Amino acid sequence: MRYHKTALLFLTPFLTVFAAFYLAPVFYAIYLSLFIRKRIGIGPPKEIFGGLENYVRAVQDSDFLNGLKNIFLFGIVQVPVMLGLAILIALLLDQSRGLFSRICRTVYFLPYTIPTAIGGLIWGYMYSRHLSPFNQILNGLHLGTIDFLSPAVLLFSIGNIVTWTWTGYNMITLFAALQNIPKDIFEAARVDGATTWNIVRYIKIPLVIPTLQLCLIFSVIGTSQLFTEAFVMRPLGYVADNITPNLYLYLTAARDANYAYAGALAILMAVVIFALSGAFLRRIGSR
Amino acid sequence: MGLNSVRASPRRSLERSRESVPTGMRASAASLAEILRYIVLTIFLIYCILPAIWMLAAITKDSGQIFTTFGFWFANPPHFFENVIDLFAFRGGIFVRWFGNSLLYAGLISLGSTLICALGGYAFAKYDFPGKHFLFNFILGAIMVPSTALVLPLFLMLYRLGMVNTIWGVILPSLVNPFGLYLMRVFWDASFPNDLIEAARLDGAGELRIFWRLGMPLMQTGLVTVALLSFVGAWNNFFLPLIVLSQDELYPLTLGLNVWNSVSNAGVGAKPSYHLIALGSFISVLPLIAAFILLGKYWRSGLTTGATK
Repeated sequence: MRYHKTALLFLTPFLTVFAAFYLAPVFYAIYLSLFIRKRIGIGPPKEIFGGLENYVRAVQDSDFLNGLKNIFLFGIVQVPVMLGLAILIALLLDQSRGLFSRICRTVYFLPYTIPTAIGGLIWGYMYSRHLSPFNQILNGLHLGTIDFLSPAVLLFSIGNIVTWTWTGYNMITLFAALQNIPKDIFEAARVDGATTWNIVRYIKIPLVIPTLQLCLIFSVIGTSQLFTEAFVMRPLGYVADNITPNLYLYLTAARDANYAYAGALAILMAVVIFALSGAFLRRIGSR
Repeated sequence: MGLNSVRASPRRSLERSRESVPTGMRASAASLAEILRYIVLTIFLIYCILPAIWMLAAITKDSGQIFTTFGFWFANPPHFFENVIDLFAFRGGIFVRWFGNSLLYAGLISLGSTLICALGGYAFAKYDFPGKHFLFNFILGAIMVPSTALVLPLFLMLYRLGMVNTIWGVILPSLVNPFGLYLMRVFWDASFPNDLIEAARLDGAGELRIFWRLGMPLMQTGLVTVALLSFVGAWNNFFLPLIVLSQDELYPLTLGLNVWNSVSNAGVGAKPSYHLIALGSFISVLPLIAAFILLGKYWRSGLTTGATK
């Protein structure tokens, strides 16, 4: 394998778009975040160089921290639930054959194909007071109603949407990994007298752990960027501005036009996610 | 061996036959497990299609029935066709425009992104150059940067370049697909043997020719997988168009339907009601579902390759 120059040629289209629309905005965001708005004497506030003042303000910002707390809650509740469900279904599917299995595999993957904006919209309708079929059922059974959009329940409602969307995707990935395990291992195990549960516990699960870790990282990254589900439900009920960091960030920029502060928040978010993913990757690397 | 093996085999074959025909306790335990398995899988099946059921029921209702009838069952008589007409007629057929926009954006993004990822992936898979390892990991690391960190400064950049509120403002930034690059590299490694390349080089073929004439035809599964995933991502794109577009004729479906939703709830002016939005949502997901079911064999094997590398 030689030919340095040709390699660069092949890479040029990708690198050009990458540099222009990925790297440049990041650097621009860093540059922007170093400015703050200050009133200097009489007249409208000006953008002057403020150094890291935006960052200092961000780490003390209770709204931002609230968003981070919610992300953290998501990370320790929703992600394990979702991945646990995904591996369970993958294991069950691995033992199934025939038409039912094929139907399941296709249907389980479909929620992932639905735009988050649309999925959030539909679930929002199913949650909303006027339209919710769940409340219709509960009412019919005289069990009262649940306000899915109330502040206490909202995080769970959003979590449900995320689980619904992504479990199938993670499940298919894990299923593919399971299917790739050579069948001879199972035969050898059965000859040695292993039960189905033994096979699952001592062969299948350990062999699937690398894939599971990959799913975990992508799930954590996705969770930290939570925006659309919260955003599309705002017209349907009260959704706090600070419920996720991304939503807060967006409103800071789009509504308050405070691009500099938004930039600082964005960079901070990127750093947090980098650190988290890095920590995970290091743990995986050490295995 | 000898005598021992003769004595051993009949016993073993008896054991094996005992194992393969579950009887008594073991049989009921096995079939109980099987029943449980079907129950769990079916419950999850229902869970996955729950919103679809609601949507299908909603599109048969008119603006009043959506509040009064049971969410998971259809209206009688169904108002489906009236709803379709209402939807397409609303505001001079802007829904059709939005559908066309989504098609345009997703199509161009999918084509462009797949092409540049195929080129880039080929470079990483088949060539060696200084800084290769670092560059690859750097690009992959870019996945970890939250999209909001990019989209807002991207907007400001595009504003300076005069690209806001244009289709290019939506298409060009979406061509960046680090995951697609990774997948393409995996597929090139798996589908294009180096000996073929060497043989072609010995025959005097140029690098570009080898790539295009020899390599690409071998990459069908990979190309379709990346193109499909890219199409889905672009079709579902919401945040970028939200920031970049302010002219509603340029909206893709995801944005348009949600704008209707916010208008609808604010109670301002002529607003399409929930049942029309539900119908619009239903129509907007049909192309994706069709694509996935029709191209199923491609992406299934594609994801398998990607998952194991």
